[in-house]
Amino acid sequence: MSDRMGAEIDGVQTKIWRWASSNAIWVVLALLFAIAALLSDAFLRPVYIFNVVRQAAPVGIAAIGVTLVMILGGVDLSVGAVISLTAVLTAVLMDGQVANIPLAVTVALAAGACIGGINGTLIAYNRISPFILTLGMAVVVTGMTQIYSGGTARGIVSPGFREFFNYRIGGIVPVLALTFLGLALLGVRLQQTTKFCRNLYLIGSNPQAAELSGLPVKRITIFAYALSGLMGAMAGIALLARSGVSSTFAGRGLEFDVLAAVILGGTTFQGGRGGIGGTIAAVFVLLIAFNLVNIVGLDYNAQLIVKGAIIIIASSAYIYFKKVR
Amino acid sequence: MRSPFTSLLSSKYGIIVLLGLTVLFAFIFVPEFGTVNNLTNIAIQSAPLAILAIGQTVVIIAGLIDLSVGMLLGLIVVIIADLMQGESSMTVVAILAALGLGGGVGMINGLLNNLLRIHPLILTFGMLSILQGLIFVYTDRSVGQVSSEFSWMANGTVIGVPFAIILLMFVALLTSFLLYKTRLGAHIFAVGGGEEQARRAGIMTGRVKIWAFIISGVSAGVAGMLVAGRLGTGYPNAGVGYELDAIVAVVLGGTSLAGGRGSILGTIAAVFVLGVASNILNLMEISSFVQIFVKGLIVVIAILLNQPKRIIAS
Repeated sequence: MSDRMGAEIDGVQTKIWRWASSNAIWVVLALLFAIAALLSDAFLRPVYIFNVVRQAAPVGIAAIGVTLVMILGGVDLSVGAVISLTAVLTAVLMDGQVANIPLAVTVALAAGACIGGINGTLIAYNRISPFILTLGMAVVVTGMTQIYSGGTARGIVSPGFREFFNYRIGGIVPVLALTFLGLALLGVRLQQTTKFCRNLYLIGSNPQAAELSGLPVKRITIFAYALSGLMGAMAGIALLARSGVSSTFAGRGLEFDVLAAVILGGTTFQGGRGGIGGTIAAVFVLLIAFNLVNIVGLDYNAQLIVKGAIIIIASSAYIYFKKVR
Repeated sequence: MRSPFTSLLSSKYGIIVLLGLTVLFAFIFVPEFGTVNNLTNIAIQSAPLAILAIGQTVVIIAGLIDLSVGMLLGLIVVIIADLMQGESSMTVVAILAALGLGGGVGMINGLLNNLLRIHPLILTFGMLSILQGLIFVYTDRSVGQVSSEFSWMANGTVIGVPFAIILLMFVALLTSFLLYKTRLGAHIFAVGGGEEQARRAGIMTGRVKIWAFIISGVSAGVAGMLVAGRLGTGYPNAGVGYELDAIVAVVLGGTSLAGGRGSILGTIAAVFVLGVASNILNLMEISSFVQIFVKGLIVVIAILLNQPKRIIAS
């Protein structure tokens, strides 16, 4: 079918299709944004746009880490649980004191990296499915959070913490949005320049070959999962900064939102392909879609239906652009 | 280096051995465990998940996954309870509605999977969200009431054996027959083992995948009938989390997420390991928070013991 279409359209169009197919998710994002802007003027106001970016921060930050793990050919379903744990941990350790912020943030980040490190170690030294191991780990971490929090929202956020992250620079850009964009750009940059990220692609596309050619596959695997846990912890802190919610279920189900974004962004379960750029675009595709539903004025229940439909339609559109050449 | 014990645990029968050990432990250390009442309770509580997990086993053997079953179960519970309103005359209609709705949504999953060619995890996650929305658009509180026949299906016994268990055995035998004795079953294994090869061998892979999703949907229908019978009413959150429990059970039972191999018996054993463990913790009066933690540990340890490379199913 692609051959027939290629013959029928002229050179310029072919070029456009080529470009579209290799940047499919950005095309979908642009289309969706255009639709959004047509439906509501709000999408043209910088304050609103950066609000969307701020809103995207927790899922987006976690998705950066999960993208790395998935390039490696793994997956991390424990991020939702890590987000909850670190949100609770940060809030409890802060205990309403500004002086406690550094300690709280450090401990939360360490906890996230540690859980990720355990995931990575178990996966590197055993031939187990990362899907199911991290699913099990999610249950373990949720249990720990429940025990720690006593099942209710606990902890007092320090004064100034949320104010700082939600402060709008120049009245427009919230610090949290800027942090997220900074992490995303850093991720994209590191992905293009570091040996570690190149090795992730190598291991993902052919683990045996990587092992045989002497790459430290185990060490890279452990490090990638630790990084995913660390990003999960950052997402937990971001969630706390954004919403102030610190309960066991703050991050419940977010792992699937993260996973939807990563896969939509072009990183596959097989590994070796994709990247952080696509993931970030996909995070925005999903979020603009949800905001759109909100603006059109549907209630939360109808939003769920549309959310599901958008996930399916956007993924299909992505695959369509990818195939047409 | 491995002792005979650990190699037995990590063999194909590992999960069944683990079930035996868990039950043995319970009989010795928890006196209340062995009472008929308690055993009946475990059976009744585990049956819906076991049935759901059997359907999930089929989907996973076919190399797919179905995250939508939990919410599908929830939707079925709400709709059949609302249909019946406690009337016995509506029992048959409700049964047909449960099976039809389950099979129908499964078929939609299968058709969309073939048409759109997106990853089944994403497709069925989207469907999960859609079904959750549908449930809450339908109702945000418990509606309807099940007929007395439904209550009996979920809680009643036939000469001492819970009917739910008889239903579970029927579903297990039927699915095993389908998987191991029919052409469709052979095709499901073939598609999961390598779709491209299966296609080249002349198997209509698209049709096989639709059937796998239909089987999963119907299993959600049957499980939904039991859950509705146990709850007595259409509770909108009835299905929350069932999909993940089902997937955990399938994998613990020795079915590979990569597809192409798997075991119904293993899946059922895994459901009962989790059910018995949860029951023991309940009887020992351990808080539900600690229970979640322990459940996760069991999953992680069982997975580590039961490494995929050692599982050679069927």
